[in-house]
Formats: sequence, structure tokens, C-alpha cells
Amino acid sequence: MSSLFSSLTAAARALDAQRFGLDATGQNIANVNTPGYTRRVIDMAAVPPESNRTAGRGVDVVAIRSARDLMIERRLQQEVPAERREAALADVLGVVEVALGKPGESIDAALDRFFDAFSNLSQSPSSSVARQEVLLQAESLADTFRDMAERIAVSQRDTDAQVVSAAQDINGLASQIARINETIARTGESAGGILSLQDEQSVLVRQLSEIVDIDVLQRADGGVDITIGNGRALVIGENGYQVQTSVVAGVNHVFSAGVDVTSELSAGKIGGLVYARDVLLPGYQTSLDSLAYEVANNVNTLHAAGVGGDGGTGRNLFTFTPAIVGSAGAAGAIAVNPLVAADGNLVAAAGPGAPVGDNSTARDIAALRQAKVIGGTATFNDAWGQLVYRVGRDSQSAQNEQHGRAEIVTQVDALRDQVSGISLDEEAVNLVKYQKAYEANARFFRAIDSTLDTLLGILR
Amino acid sequence: MRVTFNAQNRNSTAGLEDSATRLMEFQRQVSTGKRIEKPSDDPSATLGSIGEHTETAAIDQYARATDSVASRLSVIDTVLSDLIMQIERGQVSAASARGSMKTHLQRDAAATDLEGIRDTIFSDMNTAFNGTYVFSGSASTVAPYTRVGSGPISAYAGSTSEMVVDIDQQRAVKIAFNGQLVTQGTDPQDIFVEFDNLIAAVRAGNDAGIDAGMSALERMFDRVSTSQGRVGADLRTVDEHKVRLSELRRASTKRLSALEDTNMAEAITGMAQADAAYRAALGAVNTVTRMSLMDYLR
Repeated sequence: MSSLFSSLTAAARALDAQRFGLDATGQNIANVNTPGYTRRVIDMAAVPPESNRTAGRGVDVVAIRSARDLMIERRLQQEVPAERREAALADVLGVVEVALGKPGESIDAALDRFFDAFSNLSQSPSSSVARQEVLLQAESLADTFRDMAERIAVSQRDTDAQVVSAAQDINGLASQIARINETIARTGESAGGILSLQDEQSVLVRQLSEIVDIDVLQRADGGVDITIGNGRALVIGENGYQVQTSVVAGVNHVFSAGVDVTSELSAGKIGGLVYARDVLLPGYQTSLDSLAYEVANNVNTLHAAGVGGDGGTGRNLFTFTPAIVGSAGAAGAIAVNPLVAADGNLVAAAGPGAPVGDNSTARDIAALRQAKVIGGTATFNDAWGQLVYRVGRDSQSAQNEQHGRAEIVTQVDALRDQVSGISLDEEAVNLVKYQKAYEANARFFRAIDSTLDTLLGILR
Repeated sequence: MRVTFNAQNRNSTAGLEDSATRLMEFQRQVSTGKRIEKPSDDPSATLGSIGEHTETAAIDQYARATDSVASRLSVIDTVLSDLIMQIERGQVSAASARGSMKTHLQRDAAATDLEGIRDTIFSDMNTAFNGTYVFSGSASTVAPYTRVGSGPISAYAGSTSEMVVDIDQQRAVKIAFNGQLVTQGTDPQDIFVEFDNLIAAVRAGNDAGIDAGMSALERMFDRVSTSQGRVGADLRTVDEHKVRLSELRRASTKRLSALEDTNMAEAITGMAQADAAYRAALGAVNTVTRMSLMDYLR
């Protein structure tokens, strides 16, 4: 009797185990599209017999676990920040290169029109129309430089705003991860809910790694500790340590526990943004300033030595408003000297000491178009071309790098999917497997039940 | 290897995106006719393109300057031709007044004729083109010779330095001449003073004075002829240069086109291939997403 009842218990336990299998399969199928969900696997084990007179006490579910490979996840946490850095760079530079304009339609064209105007003046040095054209084109050139400087400055400001936004995102994610750590610690390792929490945690960690390069340390209780930069604490257990932003030298720097960690954030979206904002964009701005300064300086040197239509001399054609020191800020401050702008007759066409009506200065300024005045090796348009080339090359390099790294991330994601992802075919097989096992155990249960009935019938 | 639902979807999406991106890029190239849309498409070609645009702009400007110079030189050539004609007329008039047999009336008529010739030369020397005097040298806004009423013609008021215009980076053409070189040269006095002296000699029947005046006219004739020869040479140079600039422009346009423009044969072939690849990717996604063991277990 006792062994028949044991068999009934074993059958009931087996039914329960197979139902658990069906339950896990259903859960896997239900979450086939849930981001971060890891495949649930149940571990069954035979329940050993109580004595050597019984075969055993059936089967029991000893564990339900997530199919997770920590090494692959760690690899993802390393690859994703690098890919996101290049993506952020490509985004910023994509805007900048569009702002530079097309060849023949940007500063190069404005320079050409400006020198054309002086060439025309050299053919008709007494023409008031030619003088007005010079002023018009000089204004246009100065406007183009200022517009371009403003576009780069706007890109820099936008990038700076994105840095602040990224820092806020870091804080939001760090808080959520800390809360999950707290819940995991409170719930305890044995609770089934921990797997879902870990899935949620892995999604948040992935999102965080997209923004900033992180180091993740697995805690014994299933939670994670996260540091950024040179080991700066971001999440330790249930504590999230917020990063702050504060303006330093006109741009927002990121601080962790009062320490400026901006230079330590080399990867992730924020790494790309900081690099674009602090290195690339200022570099382009410096080149543009240098070009504007050289144009103004070279033209002014000739113009001031030349003689205007009024016989006067010593007047610059370009000025910088506000005043600048060195070439810094030249592109944003270049303007036509208001004194000359107010009277086209003051445009100098005649050479030094030459009578009014001479065209030497106009010729000399027009000849600057093809003169290698930048370091003795490059024309103004060469310098502009070099700047455009640099932006194009940086943008192309970021795109290529991002593309290459995205391939790696895709491959690692595929590896992760091989371990943690849901295969509907596999789940369909499991469905059949557990269903059939359940049916077989139910039959076994009925057989034992029938045997018991027979036995009890004898007693009646 | 476990093939998962997410991996299938991700691969399908990535494949479709790649194919669609390639198709769109070829479509853009074909529809715009431009290979490069932004510097990152080809930084080196963009750099070359900027250089070629500058080259083209410079060539165009030199072509405009060459046209302007050609017009100006044509005017100067015409003026010099007229000067030659006037000098020849002057020599004829002066010769007609020479000799003791000439009557007072004949000498007066010759003198009046010479006065007219002098005034025409005065007018020729003050010729302006586009608002600048062509015989004032670099003082192109100043009339080379002036006169108050019927009084004497002033001394040369222009500049002795001449004015040139660039028609290429290394080539300049003279567009404003030193009038004094034409009217005076190395003579102690200019042609207008010589004319005044000649007219006085004609009226006085002074053959020696007439001979001196005729010699001065002959020297002026030589100077004008020499100047005209130079102008003619410059005009030929300018004409040849226009042809050269036109060839340079064509070459630059060709280089620019090679850098910027779409190779239509390549782009259309590429578009057809990208279109086929996109359709194949769509078909592959359709096939893959249809297959599942779930379908066979119904």
C-alpha cells in the first residue's frame, strides 16, 4: 500500500515537474520579443528512493535558471561603448560637414567672388561700381566667415547640451540599477523573481554602456556594482552615486564625487560627444579663425599701403569686432571696416605712392587668390580645402569605425542570442516534450489509481 | 548552433537596411548626377573639387579680364591709327605751306588745317575707356592734357608709370600708356608745342621752322607706329591667350566632372544590382519568417 501511495506521490510530483516545464516554455515563448529576456531553463533531477525496495520517488524540479553567459555579456559591455562613441562622433560630424557647404558654394566661392571684385577694380580703378562691388563682396565674405563660425559654435553648444543630457541619463540609469540591486538583495537569491530582475538589470546596464564606458562587477547576491572612468563609483549595491555637470571654461564638465572626470570618459556616447566638443570642433574653429585672420591680415597689409579714390592711405579693409587677440575668434569677428564700408571711394586700388587711378593695389589683392600665403605653401582656398578635407576624413573615419564596431556588437549579440535567446523551434520541441511527458505521467497516475482501486476492491 | 527568433529578426532587419541604404545611395547618385554629396563621401575628391572650383573661378576671371583688355586695346589701336593719319595729314599740310611762292592766304589755310589736326591729336590723347584715360599712365583718372578755351594745351599731367592688368597669374598686359612717351619721347618739348611752333612758322613763311616742325611730326610718327606695333602684338597675345584660357577651362571642367559627377553607367548598374539585392533580401526575410516548427504542430 505504502509503495502504491508513494507511486501516486511520485506521479503527482512528475506531473508537477512537467507542468513546470510547460510553464517555463510558455514563459520563454511569451517573452520572445522582450528586450533583455534570457531563456529560462529548468533543471530536473530524479528523487532518490527511500529504500532499496523502491525504484525512486519520481522527479523534481531542482532549479530554474537563466541561460546567461557572463563572459559574453562582459564582452558586450566592452564593445558597445566603443561603437556608441563612434556613432556619436559620426552624428556630430555629419551635421558639421553639411554646415560646411558644398565645394564651390561656400567660403571658397565667397573668396573667389571677393578676388574677382578686386580684379574687376584693377580693370576699372576709377569705377565707383567696381568699388561698391568690392565692398559688397568683402561684406559677403565676412558674413560667410561669421556664419560658418556660428555654425561650428552652434554644433559645439548642441554637443555640450547633449553631454548634459547624457549625464542625466547616466544618473537615471544608475538610480534604476541601484533600486534593482536593493530589490535583489531584499528578495534573496532563492526567489524566482530574481531572474526577471536580472534581465531588467542587464537591459539597464546595456543602456548605460551605450552612454559611458563602465566596469561591471557581479555581486554575490546577483546585483551589480558599476564604476566609470578611473574606477569612480556609480552604483555600489543599493547606492547610486550621481554624476554632476558644471561649466568649466564655457563647456559642461562631468564631475563624480566632486572630481572632474570628463577626461576619463573616453568611450560611450558621452565619450564621443566630449571628444567632438573638446577636440575636433575647437580644432575646426581654430583652422577657420586662422584662415579668416590670414585673409584679413594679408588684404589689410596691401590695402592699408594702397591709395584710395580720395588719395588717402593707411586704411584697413577688414576689422575685427569685437577686437581679438591673435587669431582666436577671428572668423566670428571679421567685418568690413565701417569707415571704408560707408564710402566706396575709400577702397584702395592704387599702389603705394601711386596717383589715384592706378590699379596696383587692386591687382596685388586680386593676385592673393593664387598666392601661397598660408605658411608659404598654401593659398586661402587650399587652407579652406584642408579644413573641409579634415572634417570629411574625421566624419568618414567615425562612420567606418562605427560600422566596423557595429559588426562586432552584432556578432557578440548573436553569440549572446545563441546562449540566451529564444528559439521558437526549440520551444516547440520542448512544448511537445513536456506535453507528452505530462500525458505519460497522467496515464501512470491513472494506472496506479486503478491498481489502488483493485486493491481496495479486494478489501471490500 | 541555436538559431533564435531575435537573431533572425535582427539579421533580417540589418540585411534589409544595408540593401536599402545601397539602393538609396545609387538612386541619389543617378537622380542628382553627383557622386559626392558631403565631404565624408570622398574627402580627397572634395579637396580636389574645391581646388578645381577655385581654378575654374580664376580662369573665368582671367577670361573676363582678357575680354576687357582686348576691348581696351582695340580702342587704343584705333586711336593710334587715327594719330598716324593725323600726323600724315599734318605733314602734308606743313609741306603745302613750304616755299617762297606760297601766298599769305595759302599759308593761313595750311595753318588753320594744322590747328585742326593739333586739336584732333589733343582729343585723341584724351581718349577714355570705361571712365579711365588710356594715355595717362597710372594716373588714369587724370586727363593727360587740358586746355582752357582756345588757349595753349597743357603739359602732360598723367603719370609716367604705366598701368597693367593681369590676364593670367604670370602675364599682364598694358592698358594705360604713358602719353608723354607718345607725344614727346626724348624730344625737349611735346608735339603740341611743336605744332604751335609749326603753325607759327607756317603763318610766318619760315621754311626752317616748317622743316623743324615736320621733323618733329616724323619723330612722333615713329613713336606712334612703335606703340601701335606693341599694341598689335599685345592684341595678338590676348587673342591667343583667350584660346588658351578656353582650353584650360575645358580641362578644369573635365577634371571637376571626374571628381564630382556620377559615372552614370556605373551608378545605373550599381542601382540595378542594389535593387536586385534588396528584392532578394525581402524574399529571404519572407522565407525565413514563414518557417517555424510551430506551424507544423497544429
